[in-house]
Amino acid sequence: MFWEYRLVLLRGLAFNAYVFLAAAAVALSVGLIAALLRINRAWPFRWIGTLHVEVFRNAPDYIMVVWVHFVLPLLLGAAIGRRIEFHPFVSAVIALGFVYSGYFAETFRAGIQSIPLGHIEAGRSCGMSEFLILRRVVLPQVVRRMLPEAINQFVSLFKATTIVSLIAVPDLMYQVSMVIQQEMKPLPLYTSAALTYFAVIYVVAGLVRLLSERWRNRIYA
Amino acid sequence: MDAIPAIRVVDIRKSFGTLEVLRGVSFDVHRGNVVSMIGASGSGKSTLLRCINRLETPSAGEVYIDGEPMGAVEGRDRPLSEINRMRRDLGMVFQQFNLWPHMTVLGNVIEAPIRVLGMSRKAAAALGEECLARVYLSEKAREYPARLSGGQQQRVAIARALAMRPKAMLFDEPTSSLDPELTDEVLTVMRELAKAGTTMIVVTHEMGFARDVSHRVLFLHNGQIEEEGSPAQVFGNPKSDRCRQFLSKHLQ
Repeated sequence: MFWEYRLVLLRGLAFNAYVFLAAAAVALSVGLIAALLRINRAWPFRWIGTLHVEVFRNAPDYIMVVWVHFVLPLLLGAAIGRRIEFHPFVSAVIALGFVYSGYFAETFRAGIQSIPLGHIEAGRSCGMSEFLILRRVVLPQVVRRMLPEAINQFVSLFKATTIVSLIAVPDLMYQVSMVIQQEMKPLPLYTSAALTYFAVIYVVAGLVRLLSERWRNRIYA
Repeated sequence: MDAIPAIRVVDIRKSFGTLEVLRGVSFDVHRGNVVSMIGASGSGKSTLLRCINRLETPSAGEVYIDGEPMGAVEGRDRPLSEINRMRRDLGMVFQQFNLWPHMTVLGNVIEAPIRVLGMSRKAAAALGEECLARVYLSEKAREYPARLSGGQQQRVAIARALAMRPKAMLFDEPTSSLDPELTDEVLTVMRELAKAGTTMIVVTHEMGFARDVSHRVLFLHNGQIEEEGSPAQVFGNPKSDRCRQFLSKHLQ
């Protein structure tokens, strides 16, 4: 049964991957900015960063997806005086990207603060600018330190992509539901869907962990 | 001696909150000279060194590098980008080495020459090899810092500072976190630098080094220079009681 529909379902899985990749890019970049705000010396920046983290970390992703898709366009439309609508894919990426940016911001912040001040001072005394130090000295170490935690968050994000079927992004879950409506066989179809997600996440996350460990360990040897 | 000292420190003061760590310190370092700063911990010697390359901003006073004021330019506060440019002229070696663990030994040494001085990778690598040779670590160029001993790491840190071809080197207790058997290899390298005519300021507890290598010795107490002079003078015939006490404790 699952096999019969493999092409449709595979296309669905591809959509999961697209949403995941785009949302991960949003989450990482927004998360980094929020983290830098949170550790800024000026309190207004710190305050904005903290607000960001608290809002998005404490918002259920389901509600965020629905809110961004149905409410945000209304608000924006009222603001510019024109009717607008988001493509479901765009809503999904914005919603999941921002929710996870809250988590990534905390991971980044913890990582940045774990870098010894001496490494930064060594950069300063070589005449490096603060931005150059961030890019060349701090972030490369942060990435290595936060990887194990980040991989777990990527796994959560990938699992969270299944809820985008609720706003009609044609992902694997959405396709499975469609097929079930025709075939009326939820048991094998839902079970296979669950197993597919499991297999994909298990294999990919395991592989990434394996590859990243050796690269990480080199500096702690 | 030249008219303009390599480093001139004028009435530097530094407070952290209500704590006054430096209470007006002035001295000159002439080109090719080695000045050692000794004193009990808490006397302000590390803070003084850090004020010179502005890792700490002095509360008052000025530091001149080859006659150019570090803190001000044309009567206004020097912007950070300009301070960064001046810092290139001052190589700094820390107590904790502070190598960047994600870069190889050579990577640590050539990072700033490439990114700050804009050297080509090839030219920087040649310079880096040369600097590593000066600290006897050529064969470790491809290793990561975590694989080196403390003494080796500190020598890499010296090479990293040398690679910027600074006008002067600042050493902040470079051997204080090393096991006794590893301090010698670092001190040997520093002696050779001094012999080669490197301008150096060394904060140290190594009295032997201060006595043998320095041109001048400063004894700091309570944020002020309590005693200064040639090593023979300071170690042989100190005028201040506190200096005499300090030395009798540190020279067994």
